[in-house]
Amino acid sequence: MNLTYTRIEIRRALRNSRFLIFAFAFPVFLFLIQTNVFVADDDPGKDTATAVIMVNMLAFGVFFAAMSNGGRLATERAAGWQRQLRLTPLTGRSYMLGKGVTGLLLGVPVLVAVPVIAVLANGVSLDGAQWTRILLGTWLGAVPFILLGLLIGQLARPDTLQPLSMGLSLVMGFLGGMWIPVDAMPTWMQHLSPVLPSYWLTQLGRGAVTGDLSRGLGLTAAVLAAWALALGALVIGRYRKDSARA
Amino acid sequence: MSETNPTAAAVALSGLRKRYGAVTAVDGVDLEIRPGEVVALLGPNGAGKSTTIDMILGLSAPDAGTARVFGRTPAEAVREGRIGAMLQNGTLLDDLTVAETVRLVASLHRHPLPVERALQRAGAQDLAARRANRLSGGQAQRVRFAIALVSDPALLVLDEPTAAMDPATRRDFWKAMYEDTAAGRTVLFATHYLEEAEEYADRVVLMTGGRIAADGTVAEVRAAAGGRTIRAAVPGAAEADLRALPHVTGCDLREGRAELASADSDATLRALLARFPAARDIEIAAAGLESAFLTLTDQTRDDEPEPAR
Repeated sequence: MNLTYTRIEIRRALRNSRFLIFAFAFPVFLFLIQTNVFVADDDPGKDTATAVIMVNMLAFGVFFAAMSNGGRLATERAAGWQRQLRLTPLTGRSYMLGKGVTGLLLGVPVLVAVPVIAVLANGVSLDGAQWTRILLGTWLGAVPFILLGLLIGQLARPDTLQPLSMGLSLVMGFLGGMWIPVDAMPTWMQHLSPVLPSYWLTQLGRGAVTGDLSRGLGLTAAVLAAWALALGALVIGRYRKDSARA
Repeated sequence: MSETNPTAAAVALSGLRKRYGAVTAVDGVDLEIRPGEVVALLGPNGAGKSTTIDMILGLSAPDAGTARVFGRTPAEAVREGRIGAMLQNGTLLDDLTVAETVRLVASLHRHPLPVERALQRAGAQDLAARRANRLSGGQAQRVRFAIALVSDPALLVLDEPTAAMDPATRRDFWKAMYEDTAAGRTVLFATHYLEEAEEYADRVVLMTGGRIAADGTVAEVRAAAGGRTIRAAVPGAAEADLRALPHVTGCDLREGRAELASADSDATLRALLARFPAARDIEIAAAGLESAFLTLTDQTRDDEPEPAR
């Protein structure tokens, strides 16, 4: 792992206003709005409802960080930057691995910001085990989405990238339960939602705060791992094809 | 293992071939570049220059033949940081400053130059804090030159480095490049500016149709194309007869008017007059590198001009 390289990668992402808006400001903003609109002060289940919204926003934040991370791959491909990097000792494998690690690190800001606001402003109170499952779970649960972002980066051109990642965000956000909690979904949507990996990402945290409409941790982890394996295979396959064409 | 083999050529290509679909981009190239040489790779568009360079850099694999850099495969040479290159159509990352970009590349190499030194050598030190999208074409090329230099490579490969520059910027670029190579770096640059080859290269390699048409010093390449051109009306002469005259390297016969490229115009002219006493309207002109270029890359000819070496 090359520290200078990773640090510069992170700095690049943080300079991208789209990243800052969608993977940081937007989840924070949406958390504040949703808790204000949907959670009544006299609701006995208010703490749980707030925590569920927090969990969903964390999922959305790491999801978009992963999309934005993959987007840089498409930009670098189109700009001929990957060819430039192939003239350095950096191997293609380390390049992809570095992008994966950067994707993980880019999820950290939102994983810190939303819980801090939830605790300070909304008085969310959870125990250590719950926090560990929510934070560590959502962080690692981002892996299949990081791979999805990389796959899109391998396939898309810079001009098709934005509509593609926005379209995916809409589907994953609404149908996959990140923007609308499963509780608020009509029954048909509740049945459809598990098709999407984002449903399972929200389940990782949801299971820690409520048993209602929740899936077991083992099943959730297994589904996400399967997604990670499938997407990882596609990323590696595409990577091999790209290298072979050279 | 990581020592440079002192007897190894900086670049050694043998029987190099590459096809893209139906097009043979490189069609049997043999080339040896000694350490410390500054070599210009000349040729019209589609001559196979960039494809040859890509194979030297290991960016594409040859269909046949081998490419070695300091006795190693291109991939090994790249891993050891021996090759620095400016590719054609490369861009920079818009979200990084110039200094950050060069530092990023430096961080990937094992024994890089200090970033400031690379920028200074490329004449880009005053651009350090600038974002890439705020650079002019010529400035971007200087930054890309700094990127190529930062690994302190033994071989520098530049694919049309001055294509996007105005004449003044081009001069500055070559000045920086010239100062840098005084240190004994091997340089291979592709260009379609003949004056650049004439002024900066020790040796010129002329490519056309995927092959090397001429290879030598500027003077030798001129000679290969015919040191002089003889034009004359030669009634009744057949092309084969004219070609058989001494020192003729090229012949073009149209409606009784012959244009002969000759390595020794005096000897050719004497023989011409002896064989065809009716020859008249004789003109003799010196061939510049430009006409050598045109003669040697004239693809309508069937015959291959003699290489200089």
